[in-house]
Amino acid sequence: MAAPERERMLVSRIEEGTVIDHIPDWRADTVSRVLRLDKLARMQADVSVVILQNVTSEHLGRKDIIKIDSWHVDERDADILCLVFPEITVNYIDEGKVSKYSPKVPDTIEGRVRCPELNCISNTEREPVVSRFVTLKEERLLQCQYCDTLLGFEKVPDHVRT
Amino acid sequence: MMAPNLDFLGRDVVSARDFKRDQFEKVLHAVDDLESNRGSLDGALRGKLAALLFFEPSTRTYSSFQIAAEKLGMRVSGFAGPTGSSITKGETLHDTVRMFEGYGADVFIIRHSKMGAARFAAENTDVPVISAGDGSREHPTQAMVDLYAIHKAFGRIDGLKVGMLGDLRYGRTSSSLAYALSNFDVEITFIAPEALQMRPEVSQFLKQRGVTPRTERALKDVAAGLDVLYVTRIQKERIPDPTEYEKVKGMYEVNLESLKDAKPSLKVLHPLPRVDELSTDIDETNYAQYFVQAAGGLPLRMVLLNLILGGRR
Ligand SMILES: [Zn+2]
Repeated sequence: MAAPERERMLVSRIEEGTVIDHIPDWRADTVSRVLRLDKLARMQADVSVVILQNVTSEHLGRKDIIKIDSWHVDERDADILCLVFPEITVNYIDEGKVSKYSPKVPDTIEGRVRCPELNCISNTEREPVVSRFVTLKEERLLQCQYCDTLLGFEKVPDHVRT
Repeated sequence: MMAPNLDFLGRDVVSARDFKRDQFEKVLHAVDDLESNRGSLDGALRGKLAALLFFEPSTRTYSSFQIAAEKLGMRVSGFAGPTGSSITKGETLHDTVRMFEGYGADVFIIRHSKMGAARFAAENTDVPVISAGDGSREHPTQAMVDLYAIHKAFGRIDGLKVGMLGDLRYGRTSSSLAYALSNFDVEITFIAPEALQMRPEVSQFLKQRGVTPRTERALKDVAAGLDVLYVTRIQKERIPDPTEYEKVKGMYEVNLESLKDAKPSLKVLHPLPRVDELSTDIDETNYAQYFVQAAGGLPLRMVLLNLILGGRR
């Protein structure tokens, strides 16, 4: 069997859920970290996740794919993914019908990312404070709106709130 | 041409980044007016209440705001440090602000060890918030005091070469002053050991404003060209390798020897208090501008409170 055929056997269609496609090869773990897929386990959600790694892609050579059955990834989380993987695409599937979402770099990010500065007020547990960043798109940086600390797009996965 | 928004009424002062040249100039000129007509603001805010919430103690800054508020005729309440106040019992900044708002505070003056605390407070109250220093990030009213000291010495800020020396990374006054200076046509040189050089976000902001700072390792390499030298203290515990620091310490001490090539017109500023980074040898020379600078703290804070609370014109 040729490689693409072998791979096709791994990939079955889902009727309901999210397919995250065009993830750079071997980077699916970063994607699941940004999407906080572990929370699905904590929520005891009735979902199944298929992670395909290093499969053949028409455009990328090799790529990873994540399929989440019966779960719709929040668009705002997908937008954060786009900071690290701009080529990523998200397909939402409802009753077998596919709608594509192209994540875009957001102007602001609230709550989802933790400020890297530990002494920032937004990292003070007891205060009712929500982290807030603006994106400096040209410089590929986030800037905390409380303490002004900069965070490179590529470092964002390390600072996603769990 | 539309006039710039010079209205300070109800404004927060949480970051020097939030102010433009015309606004700084308005404050400087108002301090000039007060200096030439002392007493003209006494009692201007009679009946208003200033809440001084110092979650981190700072006797000097506290007194400066307290005396300014009292000269304006304001009542002062709050606390000068965490000891004995409700925050030792675990009250949050958020709740403390809401509580004092309920007591009828007309302005908050907040000092806090967390970065961005003043902005967070300002988001949670309609009452104007003035930062009296937060974390190692900003001290915007000190930047105004520093700017005033420069303005007073030279009659201008444009065209000056300003050196900033010491702990630029963690020194809250240095970042705020750099932000303020970026509104003027100045050349800025950051003089610090590598580990304490200015944070990237400050340089980034300056570049957006068209100011590209130089960075230097030693004062002696740049002293001769400077009009203003802004000195801050280097705290040894900030340096990752203290023994390494002992070797280079001399490069950041300001004394007659390190200023031997300086212009006679050089002015040395320091937010005080000093330890050993600024020699008392300088005190009696024409370089010393730091006592003048310190004296500007009171009128400047009076002017600012008066503008924000719409006191006397
Ligand atoms: Zn922050």
